[in-house]
Amino acid sequence: MARHTVSFRGGPHIDMWLLVVVVLIASIGVVNLYSATSAYVGASQRSVLADVYVTQIYWIVVGLLLAMLVAAIDYRHFERLAPILYVGGMLVLLLVFVLATDVRGSQRWLKLGSFTFQPSEFMKPLVVLMVARHIHGDHRTDARGLLDMVVPLTYAALPTAAVMLQPDLGTSLIYLLTTLSMLMITRIRATAMVWGLGLTTGAGYLLWEFGMREYQKNRIRSFLDPEADKADTAWHALQAQTAIGNGGVIGEGFMQGTQNQFGFLPDQHSDFPFAVFAEEFGFLGSLVLLILYCFLALWTIRIASQAKDRFGAAVAVGAGGVVFWQATFNLGMSMGLLPVVGVTLPLFSYGGSSLLTMLICLGLLMSVSMRN
Amino acid sequence: MATLIQRSDVGEFRKRYRWLRLFVVLAFLAMAVRLFILQVIEGDVHDAEARRNIIGETRLATTRGVIRDALGRVLASNRPAYDVHIVPSQVDLEETWPRIAAVLKVDADKEKELLERIRGIALKGGPRADQSTLLAVDVSRDVVAMLETHRSDFRGVRVSPAAVRSYPYGELGAHMLGYMREVDAEILAEQPDAGYRAGDRLGAVGVEHRWESYLRGQRGFQRFISKKARREHVEELQKRYLGGDHLEDPTPGRDISLTLDVDLMRSASEAMRGHLAGAVVVVDVRTGRLLAALSKPSFDANAVSGGSGKDAVREAFTRYYADPLKPTLDRTISAAYPPGSTYKPFSALSGLESGLLDPFGRVDCRGGYEYGKRYFRCTGVHRNVNLHDAIVQSCNTYFYELGSRIQIDALAEVGTRFGFGAATGIGVNPEARGRMPTRAWYTRRYKGAFRGGFTLLAAIGQGATTVNVVQLALAYAALANGGTLYRPQVVRSIETADGTVVQDFPPRVRRLVDVEPRHLDRLLTGLAGVVADRDGTAHAERMEGVDLAGKTGTAQVSQIAPRGSDQAQVQYFHRDHAWFAGYSPVVSPEIAVVVLVEHGGGGGKNAVPVAMKVVADWQRLKAERLGRSSDRSSDRKEQR
Repeated sequence: MARHTVSFRGGPHIDMWLLVVVVLIASIGVVNLYSATSAYVGASQRSVLADVYVTQIYWIVVGLLLAMLVAAIDYRHFERLAPILYVGGMLVLLLVFVLATDVRGSQRWLKLGSFTFQPSEFMKPLVVLMVARHIHGDHRTDARGLLDMVVPLTYAALPTAAVMLQPDLGTSLIYLLTTLSMLMITRIRATAMVWGLGLTTGAGYLLWEFGMREYQKNRIRSFLDPEADKADTAWHALQAQTAIGNGGVIGEGFMQGTQNQFGFLPDQHSDFPFAVFAEEFGFLGSLVLLILYCFLALWTIRIASQAKDRFGAAVAVGAGGVVFWQATFNLGMSMGLLPVVGVTLPLFSYGGSSLLTMLICLGLLMSVSMRN
Repeated sequence: MATLIQRSDVGEFRKRYRWLRLFVVLAFLAMAVRLFILQVIEGDVHDAEARRNIIGETRLATTRGVIRDALGRVLASNRPAYDVHIVPSQVDLEETWPRIAAVLKVDADKEKELLERIRGIALKGGPRADQSTLLAVDVSRDVVAMLETHRSDFRGVRVSPAAVRSYPYGELGAHMLGYMREVDAEILAEQPDAGYRAGDRLGAVGVEHRWESYLRGQRGFQRFISKKARREHVEELQKRYLGGDHLEDPTPGRDISLTLDVDLMRSASEAMRGHLAGAVVVVDVRTGRLLAALSKPSFDANAVSGGSGKDAVREAFTRYYADPLKPTLDRTISAAYPPGSTYKPFSALSGLESGLLDPFGRVDCRGGYEYGKRYFRCTGVHRNVNLHDAIVQSCNTYFYELGSRIQIDALAEVGTRFGFGAATGIGVNPEARGRMPTRAWYTRRYKGAFRGGFTLLAAIGQGATTVNVVQLALAYAALANGGTLYRPQVVRSIETADGTVVQDFPPRVRRLVDVEPRHLDRLLTGLAGVVADRDGTAHAERMEGVDLAGKTGTAQVSQIAPRGSDQAQVQYFHRDHAWFAGYSPVVSPEIAVVVLVEHGGGGGKNAVPVAMKVVADWQRLKAERLGRSSDRSSDRKEQR
């Protein structure tokens, strides 16, 4: 496949495929958001959500400008800047505990003037840069053991510990899985993998016993047995599946999804936008969206494989990993394949922090792509 | 840029990308498959689920059929009542709740308990909080008026009409009629298609239970778009999702007419006054229809049918189950007793048929009969008795002598022909079949050898022989009508609410008993003599003008008392059962009567007066009704 690139000041080329897919998903997202929140028009509660799609457009514009800025900077500068950015990000993340605004029982938000933002979101690309920096510097030919991975995993573990205390299971998973994905492109000993798997299982057990809050455990329990407690935790997940199933092959039609319109979907603008989309556009529409995300994920691997240095490749895999894992977890939980962990659907869900973070990741990808 | 470290060794990664690609493709493939399952394969299921989410359904109550007696008098009907429900999410627990509690007059403990429950549901949230929760049943009209007139002050409180089953005659005939109970989880789970919902009531025993499917009727429904829909959408949604089938009217239950006669039932009940426990059955010998079926002690069907709330029902049942006389037991059909001497006509018939009994042959009764090493007692010293004398005076010695010569199986054979030892097929309430012991039965039961003494006891209706009251009544009816054994019948016809007969039940013959008329005549003469002859066992208690023939019985009960039982109770439970079984009139009989006074003592003294009074009343009623039979049809209309 020939790459469609456009000349840019005679030097780097804009990755048109990447840009088009990103803009396409974001646009569908806005349209979907319009439908998702139309249930709130004239409603007594949460009517402020009724026109968030306009706000979303502003965020997309701002995000695209930010992405262009990131793309314009040679990514290799970030290798040097990574530690400073990372430490700064961590400090802001810890600031949450001092200044946080409580949103439904978890402290994730910081107020900055009239904006609230989620530092844990912005930490995602910073973790990617830090781990990429490590991979870049660690250039040897023999396979790596478990101990060699302690340092990069610590980069992920620090923010993970911070967000687990907020508590936010979803974001923690994204840090860890993205870091693991990045490490996967290096050569790792088979024994290390086995050990890693064993330790993960052990850590998972300890997390379950001592680390998780009751509501987080309940979400996982309800995922394992959704029929057991219809009234509570599993209710959300089941209603999302009903919405998706209700779409059938061709969907109920735009603005016609009853599950959404009648308020059976919880947080349909942030956590379950896919359920809204799938109900309205059916299997065919959903498949198109799925293919777009799949293409995006594969394209980032392609960008990585064409990067001219280790740092670029690792950054591309990391940035792509953030997008891939969030998409997989959000779609998976909507469909009932994965437990409800509360991560957003990249470019699709409402939310400034999430959207900007995604676009920053794509700016990084663009930066790598333009300098292959 | 010179400061940037150029490390372009990316070769290490090359082989890794394909694994990443494979992982990505597999992940999305899994999602696509899951989508296909959800949207294409299970699409209809989820579609239906989504419809259920937005379409509400109001159930339209039906009315249960009315049960009437043979003359159209209402035995069971429906009384309007009002239940109070509360919607936990809507009610103000601080402001409104104390006032609700005050209006409903709930006491402090109960109030606290209810408040906890409602608060629990409200706090838990979810769909349950928006549904009505039952607060009080069958509240008084004052409460209804109070709640309705100040409706705006009682937000979240709903008053809904609910029919309560009502039994105007209370305890009278409660065993045959039955009562209502709340449907249990078992039925809801095992018969999902039966259409019961939690909180529904269904017939528990008697006719209410047996004819439930006819009586209950069919609920209607009305479907509507959820109130959550925005107003401008409702019409379109209705068109789209409801179509034409959003209303179905309820079908009322069928009415049932019984063969029972309330007047006769009441007469039987009055005649049994003074006795703790027992049963009276009056049956039409020409049809097998039960005119009266009384089991004493009885229970209050109104109290246990749930009109006054679950607590009242529980309390009533606790009382009934603690009662050693077992008021809920239907003694007419669900219990078997030794028939005692009332069985003697059937023993005699066995003797006559087998040729072992010479009707004119005499036996000398000296107060007992020696058989083997045992001495079998008679009720007195009857001297020289023939068959007629033996029936009239109820001489045991005569029948012991028969028992010593006849095979026990020959006795059982005749009994079986008259319907003993087998279910009568009445179809209402569980039947105690009773027992006609045979040699085989004894061999199975007692590991040792069969003893002749068993036959002696069987010949006088003791030993292992047991019958139920309805069986005995139908068997005497068969004696009286010349050998037709009918199936006892309680339900006469099924009607629609406007009185049109849907199904009419003709009498059903169980068996034509093959019996020689000359043998039968001899027995009937004997039975007439029991009342008419000076030395008859029922003679002393005869009533002027009562035309009755029959046989008394005094059945011994087993004398094994459970250890530690109350002395007074033991004494009562060791007393003999008093029996009378007979028919009236003596010539061309019309009814058969059986009276059992449980632990009543001697049959002649205790059971006969009851039978006399019942038959006297029957004669009076018959005469009265003949006088005004021409306007019975108009009577019937008035009763509706």
